[in-house]
Amino acid sequence: MSAPGVTLAGTARFGGTALFEDVRLSLAAGQWTCLLGPSGCGKSTLLRLIAGLETGAAFAGEIAASDGRPVAGRVAYMAQDDLLMPWLDVAGNVALGARLRGEAEDAGRRDALIARLGLADHAHKRPGALSGGQRQRVALARTLMEERPVVLLDEPFSALDARTRVDMQELAAETLAGRTVLLVTHDPAEAARMGDAVWLMEGGALYAVPVPGSPAIRPVSDPETLRFGADLLTRLRAA
Amino acid sequence: MSIAEDARHVPDGNAPPAQIDAEEARRARTRRIERIARWTLPALVMVLAIWGWHRVVTVNEIPHYILPGPGLVWESLVNDRAMLMDAAWLTFRITFMALILAVLGGAGLAILFNQSRMLEMSFYPYAVILQVTPVVAIAPLIFIYVESKIAGMLICAWIVAFFPVLSSTTLGLNSVDHNLRDLFKIYRASRWQRLVHLQLPSALPYFLGGLRIAGGLSLIGAVVAELVAGTGGIGSGLAFRIQEAGYRLNIARMFAALSLVAAMGVFIFAALSLVSHLLLRKWHESAVKRET
Repeated sequence: MSAPGVTLAGTARFGGTALFEDVRLSLAAGQWTCLLGPSGCGKSTLLRLIAGLETGAAFAGEIAASDGRPVAGRVAYMAQDDLLMPWLDVAGNVALGARLRGEAEDAGRRDALIARLGLADHAHKRPGALSGGQRQRVALARTLMEERPVVLLDEPFSALDARTRVDMQELAAETLAGRTVLLVTHDPAEAARMGDAVWLMEGGALYAVPVPGSPAIRPVSDPETLRFGADLLTRLRAA
Repeated sequence: MSIAEDARHVPDGNAPPAQIDAEEARRARTRRIERIARWTLPALVMVLAIWGWHRVVTVNEIPHYILPGPGLVWESLVNDRAMLMDAAWLTFRITFMALILAVLGGAGLAILFNQSRMLEMSFYPYAVILQVTPVVAIAPLIFIYVESKIAGMLICAWIVAFFPVLSSTTLGLNSVDHNLRDLFKIYRASRWQRLVHLQLPSALPYFLGGLRIAGGLSLIGAVVAELVAGTGGIGSGLAFRIQEAGYRLNIARMFAALSLVAAMGVFIFAALSLVSHLLLRKWHESAVKRET
């Protein structure tokens, strides 16, 4: 699986007002791009446009992959809500995509992924019996099961407690390595930690922010990362 | 937390945290009492009511053709059991078949309406009209045009029972979490797959809620249909027996047949509640037991 880069360029309008105008966002192939912005700035709309989901906004422009093939059908999606089917157990949820495509169930790979995310003991539990962190791990396992080269993450860790969030960030960085990832977040510390590239969205415009020299994912206590996170927060507040 | 655990493991230790112990014991006691009371209290109320009934009848010397005592009703239940059981079986069969048809018709229409907005717009108003027109008023017409009494009774019971299934299933099919819809879109699921793997499971709790209401209503529909159909060879269900016993001033048998109708209603409700619980207990909020 070689992941393509993805570029979105254009304008989105909500009724008469522009949500963002003439923006250009490029996701480097095989890297983590973080899109940071206050709530309601349109960052989720941007992600949903790439995902091919309905946004309620009219978009004029183009979304293209660097290898010239269509983006649709090659994206996986994780949201703040874990999007698990409450009536399926963990294994059923992880294998949902394969089942919908009518593929023969690859039980070996499914169980390996479940074990890799530390859910082996919970494989036959329903989501209702799991904690928030465990549910997000199931969602991650399902995303990984999909083998999609482009992964869109819409604040997937923001509902987790601090420790679980940091653990999940590391797990996601490790397991999604090599894929083109867009992480939409409102948490400057998360963007500072996770981003190979960081974009700030404010007032309907996008700004690329220079990132520290050390490679993502950066340690929680790294002074340069902390500094970077604080800078991002300052810029967010100034906006 | 460690204090609470210690308390559980060493209840008679040197310095047991008595407060937590007492609190826990009190809560356990409340739960135990509630569990017993759930059965004993209604039973006690029934015994008291029957006893009161008996006292009223004997003290006032009310003649049995006005109000028979509970003993006479019991006698009627025992003596007429062959006839009453036959009648109950017929009423039960009609009710059960009507419920099956209501499920097929109600859920089927809900799925059709959900798949086609045009169909829904065209026919939903008529489903409402059928529902709000009292079945007693429609039934005589039905029995004019439908030869078979059984078919006529089924139609009556179905008209009353299908609507709750239709409306609650429709509600369920339409209340799928839109985030899950997005996920299915990303998976490029077909319309059919979305229906089978997402909408139908989401609608199941709603459907089962409608089903429980439909169970009671199909019994009501069957009883009304019998009363309207009157005597007609095979048309001798419980409602017909009530009517017939009324003409003969056999009030005790009226009560006996009535108690059988009530028992059947309770049985249907309990059976459908059990079905609902079994289907949902693994995952739905309404049936999952919480720790606290």
